Amino acid sequence: MARKPESATRSISARLALLFGLVAFVSLSVVGISLQWVLRHEMARHQAEQIQGRTEDLRYMLNHGRPDGLAARAMAKIEALSPADERNRYWMWSPDPAYLYGQDLQQALDATRGKTGVVDLYVRGRHMKLQAVDLPAQGGRPELRLIVGVDVAPFAQTLRSFRWALMVVTLLGALVLAALGYWVARMGLMPVRRMSEEAHRIEPGNRAQRLDVSALPHELSDLGGSLNAALERLDSAYHQLAAFNDNVAHELRTPLANLIGQTQVALSRERDGVHLREVLQSNLEELERLRSIVADMLFLARAEQGARAQDLVQVSLAAEVAKTLEFMDLLLEEGGMQVQVQGDAQALVQTALFRRALINLLHNAIQHSAAGSQIMVQIETGAQHASVAILNPGPVIPAEHLPRLFDRFYRIEKSRANSGESHGLGLAIVKAVALMHEGQVFASSSQGQTRVGFQVRLAMAALPKG
Amino acid sequence: MRILIVEDEPKTADYLRQGLSEQGYGVSVAADGIDGQHLALHHDFDVVILDVMLPGLDGFALLKALRAVKSTPVLMLTARDSMEDRVRGLQDGADDYLVKPFSFMELLARVQALNRRGRIQEASLLRVGDLQVDLIARRVLRQGQRIDLTAKEFSLLMVLARRQGDILSKTAIAELVWDMNFDSNTNVVEVAIKRLRAKIDAPFERNLLHTIRGMGYVLEDRGPQA
Repeated sequence: MARKPESATRSISARLALLFGLVAFVSLSVVGISLQWVLRHEMARHQAEQIQGRTEDLRYMLNHGRPDGLAARAMAKIEALSPADERNRYWMWSPDPAYLYGQDLQQALDATRGKTGVVDLYVRGRHMKLQAVDLPAQGGRPELRLIVGVDVAPFAQTLRSFRWALMVVTLLGALVLAALGYWVARMGLMPVRRMSEEAHRIEPGNRAQRLDVSALPHELSDLGGSLNAALERLDSAYHQLAAFNDNVAHELRTPLANLIGQTQVALSRERDGVHLREVLQSNLEELERLRSIVADMLFLARAEQGARAQDLVQVSLAAEVAKTLEFMDLLLEEGGMQVQVQGDAQALVQTALFRRALINLLHNAIQHSAAGSQIMVQIETGAQHASVAILNPGPVIPAEHLPRLFDRFYRIEKSRANSGESHGLGLAIVKAVALMHEGQVFASSSQGQTRVGFQVRLAMAALPKG
Repeated sequence: MRILIVEDEPKTADYLRQGLSEQGYGVSVAADGIDGQHLALHHDFDVVILDVMLPGLDGFALLKALRAVKSTPVLMLTARDSMEDRVRGLQDGADDYLVKPFSFMELLARVQALNRRGRIQEASLLRVGDLQVDLIARRVLRQGQRIDLTAKEFSLLMVLARRQGDILSKTAIAELVWDMNFDSNTNVVEVAIKRLRAKIDAPFERNLLHTIRGMGYVLEDRGPQA
């Protein structure tokens, strides 16, 4: 399978590897810098001790030795102490010229004049650390200044090597950790890759297939579950759409067939005006039916695309119900039915939509009730919604049909398709009206009572705050 | 009354022209926006019927150009529901609009309403043949005989009598009598007409309330029946 080239920032593995490397580099650098600081400090201490040690013998000799020939003996000692490579050097100064010792004595004296600690001296291309010790005159020996120097080159060399080693270790460590991080990330992400491969296999042809959630680590099983639920919803929408297309085609087919057939029959002979008029009138009825289906379909489509009710006005729902009942009065009277209204609520509605939904519900109730039935309209106030329910006596509707009552063209009895003036969109329109008022629809059926209704937002809840 | 139809679909334009001419209106037709604009701006029409989707210049642009100069009532025709919001939202917009597919009766009713706008002359006593409707006393007489009507039956008769000779669709009747301005898919209007007919026509020789199948109802005196 061809994959798009992954840029480093878009691959989780690469990003994790990069982060691992960065973290390793930073922490190793901190460790290295600290170690180097400690080392440098220790070496300085070591140098100071070395210098101290080197002077100790000489001081002892100069302080306690016999004065005669002391200068010569001291110098011999110094010669013995001085290594050939001049890493250690000694200088001696005294007002007595017999005690003067060491090349570049003047420079050493200048460098240490007035200083007690370790000082630097660059001489003959070397960098030396110097320390001076003043010995007061004693037992016939004149006062002395003894200077010891240690070449720092070996220390500097050690520090340099150490620094290099640290740098190499830091870089290598970062690289190795990045590589390991990459590997770890890839291992960790393996289930995601597997999931992706599985998802790749889901196509319109095998819509029923789902991701295998049981095989996923629990961090991913939630995600897998959500994806499966989303697939489920899409699948059911796909099904509905397919069924809906079937239904539309079916609904349109009957009037179209009538139109074509009647017109062809009418035109196949010479007809008189009366006959032709009758055909046209019949055609017009079918066409009106088609127009009404199309108009309702467009209305439903708009509601489903998220259209909201406009021109909202605050009304008493009971008053709206009363107006609608006035309209339906004749039909109720024909059926010998009584309507009782309970409750009231203030809500923001588009009155035309609200009445339309109500008419559809009432019409539905009238059609499904026996003559002389008692129909009830219940208006109830909830937390955010007002609900309007129509109760009518009727046979119990099996539970599996209830949620689908509001589907377009849904009929419990398949045989009753194309009955009379209703074309199976009435309750779908109720649902659309509820949606347009941010409400839901509901249906229940028990003990010979059918209860169907919808919600609209309450006036308080729908008003802007403040 | 003079009507301008701006419509590029020839069948639609043809039947509108014929239908409106037969209602006694003077009808001009323009097949594109540019001709339509020219006619609308340079002649005086009582109503302009304007399609939104037009070649040359679309309905919105034409309307804007027209509104800059004149206040001729405009009835917009839109083929797509999505246009409906735009038409509704127009600030200096159309006076009314219809979404295709619409019925001719509906269009006729809207055109008549637009034309009637602003000059309603109300008679207090309406006569249709030998039927008298007294709007003030809310009394109905036929051949001098008093007919008792319910409040709704009276409203229905009043609506029909005010527009006597005009065919009123069921939707129009539902709107005018019950304030239900949408297709209700119920047979309330049929039932109401049936009842009214039983009171004003059945006891008498000549029928005044006629059904125009597939279109609606009309109240008129058609003279002695054969």
